[in-house]
Amino acid sequence: MQLRHLGDKTFTFASGMSVLLMVAALVLILGPMLSRGAGALVFDGTVEYRKMQYDMHGRGQRKPLETQLKNAAKARAEVYRLMDNFAVMVDTSKVQKQAKSIFRQFKIQLSNQVKNGTLAPEQAASLKFAGKELRNKLRRAYKTSNAQEAHEKLDYVLNYADNRQLADSVAGQFFTLARQYKNVVSAAGLKHRETYAKSFREVQEIIKELLGPQPGEPIPDLAQFQYGSTRWGRAKILRDRLLWAETWVAQGPDQPLKKTRTPREDQFAGTELAKLFPIMEQNLEKMLLPQRTFYWQYFIDDSTPGHFFGGVGPEIIGTVLLTLLAMAIAVPLGVTAAGYLVECTGDGTFIRIIRTCINTLAGVPSIVFGLFGLAFFVLYLQPKLGVGSGSTILAGALTLTVLVLPVLIRASEEAIRAVPLTYKEASLGLGAGKFRTFVKVTLPAATPGILTGIILSMSRAAGETAPILFTATVALGPVPKSIFQPTRTLSYGSYDIAVGDRIAAMVPHQQYGMVMTLIALVLVLNLTAIIIRRKLESKLRGH
Amino acid sequence: MTKNPDKKSEPQVAAVGFNRPLLLSPAQDLQGYLAAVLGKMFLLGITCVSLMVVVLIFVFISKEAWPFFATHGIGKLLGSTSWYPTAEPAEFGGVSLLAGSLYVTAGALLIAVPIGLLAALFLSDIVSFRIRQFVKPIIELLAAIPSVAYGFFAVLIMAPWMQEKLHLPTGTNALNASIILAIMAIPTIISIAEDALSAAGRNLREGSYALGATRAETLVKVVVPAAHSGIIAAIILGMMRAVGETMVVWMASGNAARIPAPWWNITQSIRTMTATIAGEMGETAKGSDHYHCLFAVGFLLLVFTFALNLASEHFLSRARRLRGGSK
Repeated sequence: MQLRHLGDKTFTFASGMSVLLMVAALVLILGPMLSRGAGALVFDGTVEYRKMQYDMHGRGQRKPLETQLKNAAKARAEVYRLMDNFAVMVDTSKVQKQAKSIFRQFKIQLSNQVKNGTLAPEQAASLKFAGKELRNKLRRAYKTSNAQEAHEKLDYVLNYADNRQLADSVAGQFFTLARQYKNVVSAAGLKHRETYAKSFREVQEIIKELLGPQPGEPIPDLAQFQYGSTRWGRAKILRDRLLWAETWVAQGPDQPLKKTRTPREDQFAGTELAKLFPIMEQNLEKMLLPQRTFYWQYFIDDSTPGHFFGGVGPEIIGTVLLTLLAMAIAVPLGVTAAGYLVECTGDGTFIRIIRTCINTLAGVPSIVFGLFGLAFFVLYLQPKLGVGSGSTILAGALTLTVLVLPVLIRASEEAIRAVPLTYKEASLGLGAGKFRTFVKVTLPAATPGILTGIILSMSRAAGETAPILFTATVALGPVPKSIFQPTRTLSYGSYDIAVGDRIAAMVPHQQYGMVMTLIALVLVLNLTAIIIRRKLESKLRGH
Repeated sequence: MTKNPDKKSEPQVAAVGFNRPLLLSPAQDLQGYLAAVLGKMFLLGITCVSLMVVVLIFVFISKEAWPFFATHGIGKLLGSTSWYPTAEPAEFGGVSLLAGSLYVTAGALLIAVPIGLLAALFLSDIVSFRIRQFVKPIIELLAAIPSVAYGFFAVLIMAPWMQEKLHLPTGTNALNASIILAIMAIPTIISIAEDALSAAGRNLREGSYALGATRAETLVKVVVPAAHSGIIAAIILGMMRAVGETMVVWMASGNAARIPAPWWNITQSIRTMTATIAGEMGETAKGSDHYHCLFAVGFLLLVFTFALNLASEHFLSRARRLRGGSK
């Protein structure tokens, strides 16, 4: 007896748990996607973000933005000064190039002077030789990592500094370069140049990602490189990466590598660059000026390649177009068919075949609908209509029509069947015909139920991906101008941004933002349907 | 349209003035008759759209698949595991794809059937109406979330989690896809099974309780056997959802066309028929062997789901008959 009751309790518990499990699944699945997706809308935008919005869309006011940018630039100046100074020591390729170009200009200047007759050809040749010598010594000084040798070469160059003929010409720049480099060499030493180089390159990359291209540098073509960190959250991650260098250290012969973090300040200890890190730690906020931002334009903006910046406007337009077009075709067909099935027929063999067909249609895998759409609408029908055999919104909408038709028919049928018989009897009793009864009495009474079915089919059509894969959608492309063009959609965009796009992997808020938009759209439609049905149920109960 | 079948009843309605004759002239009669018949034909034509579409689907899928069956034969597709459609010479051995579909479907059903049935029993027999009103929308929402969103979840949240917590070489594998597919199949199973359970009737339950059975005993030994046709139909429909699902398996299963090495190891990557079509159709030339082969795979899927559908319909109509008989 005890055991039986225990079994009963266990059963109740287990079945309760299974329902709880489902609730948990819903929360676990929707929670992270919606909350992270909200990060695409609400975040702390930096001054770089505001600059980007102003440049791309003309949003925001010019005056305050300019003051902000000026303040930020003031805070950043020290960073760039430290970086430039250190760069000369670590990476001399720039100054080497400079030395080369100085010599080239010097040659041109000499030959011009000879042509003008202000300089004798023999003198020009000897000056040219001297210039070449200076260039070579300077380059060798840049190349060596031995401070002693560098000093020797630089002193050799500076010996010529008193030569007026050289110092007053273009070659005078050689001496400026040599003096600068002499300062750098005596301040920092050159011993650790190779070890610094790698870490310094990382620092340069991070600073570039944080603050954007350095003023004076050429503006990159891709929008994603034109601005620094537009989001404060990302900036903080980058700052962490700047302050702490991550290295993988071997623990022992057979053990896996372990990640260790060392302060980058220690790596550069003793050099001038070590000052950079406390500055970045304390002043980053002044350099980026974060502000809480609500980016509602996310839903209307186009995006830059890889969705690095911008929103999901074209995707929303494409999804809405496809869905509405599909519903515009499916609703008349579906409601008429449902009405016919309920009102005009008995239980004949033919009707049973039609019912089987509707059920079959409901069970066909969505990817097979995609294949059908490709074979029939895109490759067979479109060429006959002179559209050409490419993906178009029309083909996608027709495929979706076929997909939602059974859902729509079933829902409408149920709604029409649910209309109380008394309504119909009253109408018939007043002398209205069958058709009039259906149009004037049954259909209006069934409208809320049919509407629910329509909304649910809409949400189904908006969320489907596989049927439009080969018929309507593309990952990249302009906003469609007619229904004979392919389009971007939220559903395929969600796939592409999660799996296909390398750039998008760097901006998770954009990935989650896209899928959040899709889920929000579907949820809103479904909740509307649920509310309509609740209203309807309570109305029916009230009778 | 407006003067369709009720043409005949029109004069009787018009009670305002009796200036119109009660009897129609033969021409009017004929006109009304024709309008009614034509209207009905028109409506029938619209109703037949679904029939037409089903026929068209079968015709066009098999038309595109036929060249493959004609040149390679169905044995090639079902007799080899080497799927190298773009190699030279190409090999179209689809067994690993079939196995992949089988793996994720079986995995999904193993998870979804117990949970779905228990939840259906809970909703139909155990819980109060108010909680039911609260749980039903949740099940509907689970069913409404687009499959690509489930796939997104599987690949960006579930896969890294699995890789880290279970120490797997890859997070996108058969287990991941099975779990997500199970979540997607559960709502289907619940709603149909619950219908069947509710339809099993009060008298059965009351009889069982009167004999002293506990609730669990009543449910397991009386209600479930009585509703077994509907439950089988629910499982078949859940299975169809899992077999036909594309986006989730494409994103979450890892897309490796091979059979897991120890057959029970479901933490390896696999590839299903649906994912193969979705992934490769975009890259094939129209009219190539590969293109026709993918249609052949689609044809197999279509035939398979069609058979499942007929089976589910058989069980559902049996359930309906039994219910009708018990009343």
